[in-house]
Parts: sequence; structure tokens; C-alpha cells
Amino acid sequence: MNNHSARTRVLAALTVICACMGAVPAKAQTKAESLPGLERLEGDWVRIDSNGSGDFGGLTSKFTPASLTPSGAAAMAEGARAAAVARGPAFAENTRHDRGQPYIVVSRPCGAGPFGGGVLGTNPDSGAIHFVVSKDAIVLAPERGGARRIYVDGRRHPDLRTWTPTGSGHSVGRIENGELVADTVGIVPGVVTAGGWRTPETHLIERFVVSPDGKHLTIKYQWEDPLIYQKPHEYQYEFDRLPEGSYALEYWCDASDPAEQQSVTPPQ
Amino acid sequence: MGRRAAVILVLAAVSGAGLGAQQQPSVSARDISGFWALLADGKKVPPAKLLPRVTKAMIELHARRDVHALRWCNPIGMPLMMDSGTPIEIRQGPTSVVILAENSLVPRYIYLNRKHVSPDIYDPSTIGDSVATWEGDTLVVDTVGFHPAHGVTAIPGGGFRTDKTHLVERYRLLKNGDVLSVVFTWSDPTVFAAPQSYEFRYRRLPPAYEPLNEWPCDPYDDTRASFLGDPAPFGK
Repeated sequence: MNNHSARTRVLAALTVICACMGAVPAKAQTKAESLPGLERLEGDWVRIDSNGSGDFGGLTSKFTPASLTPSGAAAMAEGARAAAVARGPAFAENTRHDRGQPYIVVSRPCGAGPFGGGVLGTNPDSGAIHFVVSKDAIVLAPERGGARRIYVDGRRHPDLRTWTPTGSGHSVGRIENGELVADTVGIVPGVVTAGGWRTPETHLIERFVVSPDGKHLTIKYQWEDPLIYQKPHEYQYEFDRLPEGSYALEYWCDASDPAEQQSVTPPQ
Repeated sequence: MGRRAAVILVLAAVSGAGLGAQQQPSVSARDISGFWALLADGKKVPPAKLLPRVTKAMIELHARRDVHALRWCNPIGMPLMMDSGTPIEIRQGPTSVVILAENSLVPRYIYLNRKHVSPDIYDPSTIGDSVATWEGDTLVVDTVGFHPAHGVTAIPGGGFRTDKTHLVERYRLLKNGDVLSVVFTWSDPTVFAAPQSYEFRYRRLPPAYEPLNEWPCDPYDDTRASFLGDPAPFGK
């Protein structure tokens, strides 16, 4: 090797090293990149009873009921009939019980169940829900299982002809006035809060609004589908941020546990 | 290559105008977000050194309980969710990291820059209580608070987790972010004679990857149930 070629190789090696350094530009960062203005969404939230109703049945009692089209009402009625079909010999919720007679409330607990596929990400229940805001996606992880993603990397919805509907569908988000606005399609057919119905083609538009003090979250829901709704179906849920140091409880349900199929005895 | 050309290349790279930096997406060494696949050539797992008190009967009992957990679609938890046969998704935010396995309904949470929850109030779980800090370009995750019986307890290389188990993981990006190295080190004074340490190397999947959300796990599927059997019926 002559001096010229050796010098050239050293320079070439330096080039590679420098190029590599250039491709990892953020070593000095102390945090992962996240979306400007959306960091305040991160953390644990729990839905609150803003109506003062005191029970699950009353949580949505003051919501404006959905205005369904005739075809929307027919789809909902058909869905209700399908849901009422007994799922097995132990399914007994709809039978009459005498006072003092034990009966099974949940015959097939912990199954593939309603919480699979992140359905609680579009309709949070009483369990807490954890938001993680990364630079390409926001993950909504309900404590009771499943996960939902809202992509903010510029991708579009998939072709619904090739998409298998899921509990949380496919969500893409954008930032408007510092707030996250998500558009979702591809959700499995099912009931929507306050008398609504949905199909995979139905659009759900959500706006996530964090209060100035960061302690309160409002999610504004708007369901749009000209085949189902006479006008967009709107309502909102309210959440409080859990205290600092809170952690996500693991939802444990063992279908083999006889207690999960617990009978209850109506009061005498 | 002429000397002048090489110097120009060096200057171009130093100035941040290198071709590599322009054509490849920017990768932060401190962001492990993405979809990751663990293939057969990504595992280096030595056999564990178990304490003499860990009998064959204990190992068999845990193995039976693990089959039971799978049979009944229980949350699988750690460590199986990091190698469950489907890709994992990691999303890192300002204060926490969440890890999702496609075929597990229960997410794993890792809290950044905070202390463990007091064991007086922590409810033991299959994923444990994980906290993490960055040491240079390595995310060091410390986990305690495991449930001794819930989920799949088997640890790669041998042994099982208990409520006394302590796990330390070191996450580090390699190959300009295309590979994620995770070194797991399990300690437990009731199971291991020496810490059980092994490494998984995950490959980054394309950013446009779409995970499957609904892997069916139906405990009432008779065909599946008869295939798996239940060597540890409830309470055994």
C-alpha cells in the first residue's frame, strides 16, 4: 500500500464515521421526540361522572340521542337481535329468577370478549386509560386490556375492502390549534353511545382537549355516516388526570376461575 | 478516489449534508419507538444456573401452570410477551414507554425517571412495576412486583419468576436504529444461583407496518382446548 492509497482509505473511513454520526443526530436528547403541543395528553386518565348520575346507566342519560335514518335503525335492530342469541348452554342472563334463587350473571367471562382489539380506546369505561405520545403515533392503552393507535405519521386509512374491522378501527390524527383530532374508520359493527350504531364505513371524529391546567381531558365524539345518521351524532366524555405516581392496574380475568362465573343471589 | 474528492466527502459529512443523513430517516439513539420482530437468529440464551432447592417437581408445576395460562387465555405477561411469536410495538413518550405484543391484550408500561411504587400498595402483576432511566444511549429498565403465579412464568434458559424476582433490561439501538438489542438479566434469591442473562435482538419493521389487533384467543374454543389440554386445573 503506498502513502496515497493509505491516506485515501483513512479519509474514506473518516467519511463513513462522520456520515454515521450525521445519521444519529439526537444523541444529546434527554427525551424521545414527541408531538409539539400534545405532550400534555400523555399520562393516566379516568373517566368521570360529569352528569352526577351516580350509576353507569345514567352516565349518558343527558346526551342527545342519535337521529338514525331508517336504514340505520334497521341495522341497529338487526344487531340487537344478533347480540341476543344465546352463546352456550350456560348463558342465562335473560331468564327469569325467583327471589333468593342464585343465577349466573356472566356465563363466559374473559373470552375473546368485548375488550379485544382496543374497543375501550374509542369508548372508555370506568377503568383508567393510559396515553403515550410518541412522535409517530399515540397509543391509548385502557387498563382493562387492548390498545388503540392513532397514527400521526402522515399515513392514510387502509382500503376498507382489505381491512379486517377491529374494536378500535384504524385511526389517523392531525394537530389543530394544538389539539389532537383523530379520524377513525374500520370499526366492527356495533352499538354507539346514546342510541347510535356504527359499521366499518362509519367515520368517528374525535377532538382531544386538555384543560389549561393539564388536569382535565375532554374527548368530543362525532359519528358521521349518511346511511346511519340523519345528522352527525355528537357527545363528549370527561376525564380527570390521575395523581402523579399512579400506575396502571393489571386487569386480571381467568376464565377457568369458577368465581368468574359467579352466581349471585337476588335480595330476599 | 482522488484526495480532493475524499476531502470534499469528509467536509460534506461533517457539515451534515451527507447522503446517508439525507436519504435515511433520522433516528434518535434515545427513541426506541417502532414495530420490532424477533426472529430465530435474534436470540442468544444460555442455560440458567438454578439453585439446588429448585427441584424438578417445582419446574414441572410451573410448566403445567404455564400451559394452563395459555389454555385459558390469561395475560401472558413477562417474559413471554417479549417473545410471543408476533411482533412487538414500542411507543416512547415523554414520561413513559408502552410495549404491546400483538397477541397479548395486556400492555406493558415502563415509567421514565421515577421510583418504584411502594410494595405496600403495588398490586403484583404479570408485567411487574417497571421504571427506567437513560444511561448514555441505553435505556435501563428495572422491574419488580411480579405475580408469582399469574401468566406464563417461565424464563428463557430455565427457571421461573416469583414475587422475589428482579429484572433489569438494557435497551440499545444498533445498526443506525435498524436493530434493537435488549439484554435481560433476571435475579431471584429463591431460583437462580447466578443472574440469568441473555440477549434478544429485534429487527425494525417498516414504519407503515399495520399490526393485527385481534389475535383470537378463545378459552371456549373446544378444539383448541382439547389440543392444549389443561395439566393444571384451576387452583392446582
